[in-house]
Amino acid sequence: MPDTGLTADAAAMIRGVAEGEAGALRRLYDAQASRLFGVAMAILRDRDAAADALHDAVVKIAARARQFDPARGEAGAWLAAIVRHAALDLARARGRETPTDDPTLGDGAVAPEALDRLCETQEAGRLRDCLAALEARNREGILLAFVHGLSHAQIAARLDLPLGTVKAWIRRGLARLRGCLA
Amino acid sequence: MIPSDPEALDALAAEHVLGTLDARQAAEVARALPVDAALRETVARWEARLAPLAGLAPPETPPDGLWDRIEASVATRAPAPVVPLRAIPGRAAPPPRPDRFWKTWAAGSTAVAAGLAAVLFLRPADPPRMMTVLLTSRDQPAWLVETEGAGLRLASLNPRPVEPGRVQQLWALPPGATAPTSLGLVPEGGQARIAPGLVRPEPGMLIEITLEPPGGSPTGRPTGPILFIGRLAPAAGT
Repeated sequence: MPDTGLTADAAAMIRGVAEGEAGALRRLYDAQASRLFGVAMAILRDRDAAADALHDAVVKIAARARQFDPARGEAGAWLAAIVRHAALDLARARGRETPTDDPTLGDGAVAPEALDRLCETQEAGRLRDCLAALEARNREGILLAFVHGLSHAQIAARLDLPLGTVKAWIRRGLARLRGCLA
Repeated sequence: MIPSDPEALDALAAEHVLGTLDARQAAEVARALPVDAALRETVARWEARLAPLAGLAPPETPPDGLWDRIEASVATRAPAPVVPLRAIPGRAAPPPRPDRFWKTWAAGSTAVAAGLAAVLFLRPADPPRMMTVLLTSRDQPAWLVETEGAGLRLASLNPRPVEPGRVQQLWALPPGATAPTSLGLVPEGGQARIAPGLVRPEPGMLIEITLEPPGGSPTGRPTGPILFIGRLAPAAGT
């Protein structure tokens, strides 16, 4: 996660885009592109597809900049959410629901230890603790879905579990997270 | 179907944010988000809860030519100038009513639309009549939009001042369309006609007014908050 200084910068740049300030979108792109491209790459694992997703997302960001409300959410998270959903839409269009299309994530998948990186902010620390309290497979399912854009079917194939079990576990895991973070 | 039960709504919002909805469900949520405030709130809370996880993806430098592509796309989307709607001359906006009056009317768009439709559409007409009442985010009726031949007519029900330095822009989103069409800027007088040809009114079409910079949206898409929104429906009794 960006620190609060970067977040304040991102919020100011989004405001610049909303106000039609010359060069504001380019500055926002330069500051955020590698982080956001990383988010798209983790989901699509293909540089051309991830570039398409980031393209679509930045065009959306330009159009929606005025809808960003810093009182209702953090700027970096707002940008990342738009990129994630653009990447997920592409992943869905590429037939993600078929488990046989499951790309082997290999060593690229986020390892459980990666959660240790989630402690830079107070919110991230709480999320890490709540995830740590979940059952390991439950936690892994949530990470594979959020970070790598895997579908229920792909998670089931990867964890070698029945599809129905995976669906139920993820639903339960999310409900527990909500309770834990409340 | 977007569930109304809070638990089911929360579960749907959570899986939308997590990314596990299939293409059909995801499209349904995307369509509902602009019009369903409860869904929007629930999704926003889940985005905030899970946002730190995006930090787990390692940063990677995007391909060199990507910025040029983005710049070209943003430039082509820069729209034709937004035209003001044709104000209906000689008709002053109805006088503001006390707030209390409208609160009793805030029973939801369907009931309000049906009630007004019954009053307004007693005359026979050739094309099927459609109408909607645009509501504020707090479900207060603000504008009446009705078909007029193949065009549309807009009338303020509850005139209220526009934020200084901003204009109101009217949009239509036909069912299934991904981007709304600008119908023009809403004039001061509170009544306007939308000539036929810009959009073909049809049941289910979303009509909304957004707050935009002077001259209208610079991007051809709504850029400001949605102030008023409603969905065209066949007028009752026709």
